[in-house]
Amino acid sequence: MKIEEHKIFVKEEALILTNQRAIFWERKKALIISDVHLGKAAHFRKNGIAIPTQIALQDLLRLEQLLTLYNAEKLIIVGDLIHAGSNNEVELLSQTLLKFPQLTTHLIKGNHDRISLQQLQNMGVQHLYQQLEIDNFIFSHHPKIEEKKLVISGHIHPGINVSFPAKKTMRFPCYVVTKNEIILPAFSSFTGLDTNKILDNASYYAFYEKGIFKV
Amino acid sequence: MKTKGNTPFSFQDKTWESYSKGYSGMVIAPTGFGKTFSVFLAVLIDFMNTPKAYESGLKLLWVTPLRSLAKDLAKAMQQAIDELGLDWTVEVRNGDTDAKQKAKQSKSMPDVLLVTPESLHLLIAQKGRDKTFDSIKCIAVDEWHELLGSKRGVMIELALAFFHQQKKKINIWGITATIGNLNEAMDVLLPLHPKKIKVVAKEKKLIEVLSVFPDEVEVLPWAGHLGGKLVQQVVPIILQSKSTIVFTNTRGQSEAWYQLLLEAYPDFAGQLALHHSSIDMHIRQWIEDNLSNGNLKAVVSTSSLDLGVDFKPVDTVIQIGSSKGVARFMQRAGRSGHSPFEVSKIHFVPTHSLELIEAAALKEAVKTNTIEPREPMVQTFDILVQFLVTLALGGGFKADDFFPFIKNTAAFSEMTMEEWQWCISFITVGGSLGKGYEEYHKVTKLDSGLLVVEKRKIAMLHRMNLGVIVSDAMMKVKFVSGGFIGMVEEYFISKLKKGDKFILAGRVLQLVRLKEMTVYVSASSGKAITPSWLGGRLPLSSNLSQFLRQKLALAKDPNVKEKELSFLQPLFARQREDSHIPAEDEFLVERIKTKEGCHLFMYPFEGRLVHEVMSSLIAYRISKLYPISFSMAMNDYGFELFSDSEIVLSNEQLHKILSRENLMEDVLSSINAAEMAKRKFRDIAVISGLVIQNIPGAQKNNKSLQSSSGLIFKVLEEFDSQNLLLKQAYMEVFNQQLEEHRLITAFERIQKSKIIFKEATNFTPLSFPIKVDSLRQSLSSEDLAKRIEKLQGVNVKQAKRK
Repeated sequence: MKIEEHKIFVKEEALILTNQRAIFWERKKALIISDVHLGKAAHFRKNGIAIPTQIALQDLLRLEQLLTLYNAEKLIIVGDLIHAGSNNEVELLSQTLLKFPQLTTHLIKGNHDRISLQQLQNMGVQHLYQQLEIDNFIFSHHPKIEEKKLVISGHIHPGINVSFPAKKTMRFPCYVVTKNEIILPAFSSFTGLDTNKILDNASYYAFYEKGIFKV
Repeated sequence: MKTKGNTPFSFQDKTWESYSKGYSGMVIAPTGFGKTFSVFLAVLIDFMNTPKAYESGLKLLWVTPLRSLAKDLAKAMQQAIDELGLDWTVEVRNGDTDAKQKAKQSKSMPDVLLVTPESLHLLIAQKGRDKTFDSIKCIAVDEWHELLGSKRGVMIELALAFFHQQKKKINIWGITATIGNLNEAMDVLLPLHPKKIKVVAKEKKLIEVLSVFPDEVEVLPWAGHLGGKLVQQVVPIILQSKSTIVFTNTRGQSEAWYQLLLEAYPDFAGQLALHHSSIDMHIRQWIEDNLSNGNLKAVVSTSSLDLGVDFKPVDTVIQIGSSKGVARFMQRAGRSGHSPFEVSKIHFVPTHSLELIEAAALKEAVKTNTIEPREPMVQTFDILVQFLVTLALGGGFKADDFFPFIKNTAAFSEMTMEEWQWCISFITVGGSLGKGYEEYHKVTKLDSGLLVVEKRKIAMLHRMNLGVIVSDAMMKVKFVSGGFIGMVEEYFISKLKKGDKFILAGRVLQLVRLKEMTVYVSASSGKAITPSWLGGRLPLSSNLSQFLRQKLALAKDPNVKEKELSFLQPLFARQREDSHIPAEDEFLVERIKTKEGCHLFMYPFEGRLVHEVMSSLIAYRISKLYPISFSMAMNDYGFELFSDSEIVLSNEQLHKILSRENLMEDVLSSINAAEMAKRKFRDIAVISGLVIQNIPGAQKNNKSLQSSSGLIFKVLEEFDSQNLLLKQAYMEVFNQQLEEHRLITAFERIQKSKIIFKEATNFTPLSFPIKVDSLRQSLSSEDLAKRIEKLQGVNVKQAKRK
């Protein structure tokens, strides 16, 4: 895995956007991710759609590498951690989290998260919120605008069409950044992209395996 | 029947005789000559002669590709039965049949059942299938030419394999119009029958082709632009006829022509209708009924009216733009003058002046009866895995029992044992050979070895998704005040904002709001956008392209007799003056320099799809000579390479880039095969059950199971590259997209031709339409990182949202 970083400053805070679908908040040593959709592939398999098992393992391995690399103390997940109920893949999360005893994990409830707090805690997710506020930041699953604060959200799996010379366009997952808002790309690589809900006056940071660039 | 004064045609007699001798076979006859009754009466006659051979229950299964055909056909059949004084019943079972009727049928089958390939598979997916098919004697496949060559044809092959496996003595009869590969068509339908016969009607349908000429020749033709002018000449044709069908090639074009005709002749209001597949089924039904009754003066339609029951009052057909194929053209012509020995009249309305050459080519093809072959599809594993689940669902099957029967079908005759085992493991353990997924339970293997579906949810999903027709996500269009208008592709609506106006079913509608899969609109007026439906452009068939080259060569002679060619003389004069008119053994290349840069035009006349591949191949070969980048454009006649720097080619180099050598290797280096395969995978993913189709109006939405074929393609490429369905996507690219065979033939022809390299100062009549009409595109084989590197320094921009 190759981690490429792009540092931005919002509300006097430094945030590192990575090409691995996660933001690192240096001052709080917090790794911020969204839309993990854990167990999605297994849910598909249960319903007779053959999706390879490696995909969830790879997502979790990526999470592990990010936590190690940044030496994170906090993991903030802004919703949709679990795709649809408990299954084998979901249980893999606790194994990953067990490797980081110092880490506290915070989940903002997403529309997919229909799992109980008790089950979450068994998996190593200590805290569950409808919305979380830390200093100038508000963490919410759904994007929204708040006066004077910066909302960090997910939910829409943002993507962007980038045009290349000779009239060719390609789609990339991206971060959407405005003065008051950051929308994270989905952490799970088994998710689609929404390129329609694009905001005015926003900056887009698109990324691929080997890099991250501003559009 | 004879009492009604009808004498049977000799092919009908022959069919009846062969059937009574126990033959299976195929009947080939033009529309309107009673093909249907050749086979249908054969069964009745056989029953009357040997009633003891028949048991109660379903005796004749009649498969038709079209739902709309079934109802009227059943009526006609029932009438014939009643006239003969038999007590048989005829019923229809397809997507339009209500649940009550279906339940009644499941309890007790009629004697004759009309089904679509899809509803036949659904019957095989039923637990009581053994009882259903217990007394079956004959399976007839109507309009086999329409099914052959498509994945629905493979569905028929598989269903027949099922009946063979059941060791039933069934006669199988195909009914088809003339196509280019009749023997193959019969072998695909009847791979196992030792007693089979081809019955060909001697009768021929007479077709008269009349071109509509514009007032003057446009020397620089511009696609799509001329048609509108010709509406003034189309109106009198409609007025002079009893009833007319106006065929267009796309839904967008049909909407536009509906408006044009109403504007040109407002009195058409109330007598003119619009018929295409996005219009509400009930409205379409109403139109068809009124066309049959003679209440409509004209109907503007797309291929939605190509097939179907006779509309007796229709005496004139108008074709807007080239039909791009001989078979389609003749099929459409045949919609007028439906009864035997009547002449079918078809008026050809060109959308640009060059299309008049296509009219001349079509005339020639009709005269010589040169109809395209329909190539059957092979190794379509998406349908096979779907069918295996169908078998598992309807009471189960044993893998070893079925292998030889599947292997005997034309579609899977090349299948290896490993491939078969992969398919079985795909439906049972989900994974590649040898390793499975523990949560995966699509099909379960019982201790007895029987493969069955145990979970209800899976059974439900499978039934819902069964079939091979994959459509774009469609949205219903409804008035706010209630009332359903039709369907529109989701992607079209996603580009509209509230308050935007668009045209559907001939009405101007204003978007009010979107809710779930429904678009709510209000009636409006004024300027509006016509949805540009996907898949509108049909490529030129190879039969027609050959005639096209021939006609163009004839046009060299200023005194040519053919009306179309003589009319176009001013255009040809300009082409001759500025460049050259290629003879049949010549290949024309033009280089034109303009302010913007250098254009290289080539004219293989092989159709858009082949040109798409050829243009990227030629671009690739030139860029191997020296560094240069191109953008490409194409139409059915030729293609353009455009560069802002000078394109320098010596004669020797030109011969080299047009060479047959290393053809496929160079093609593979010049295109992005993965990108093309990804597009092909869209259908495969749905058919094989990897993507759940979103059905509008379905009660249950399976939101948590939604994904896209692109996403699954990516995942499989990364983790399961040996997946047979992925390989199928690449194979489909080779056979259909690249048309490997046609491409090779084209290059062989070019190599034998004399290459004419002309320098022109202006756009020529041949090059101009490519320049104007074309969809520009560039295919690139560069990998992603390289492309982004290239972009660095260049300002990266968000693509404009169209």
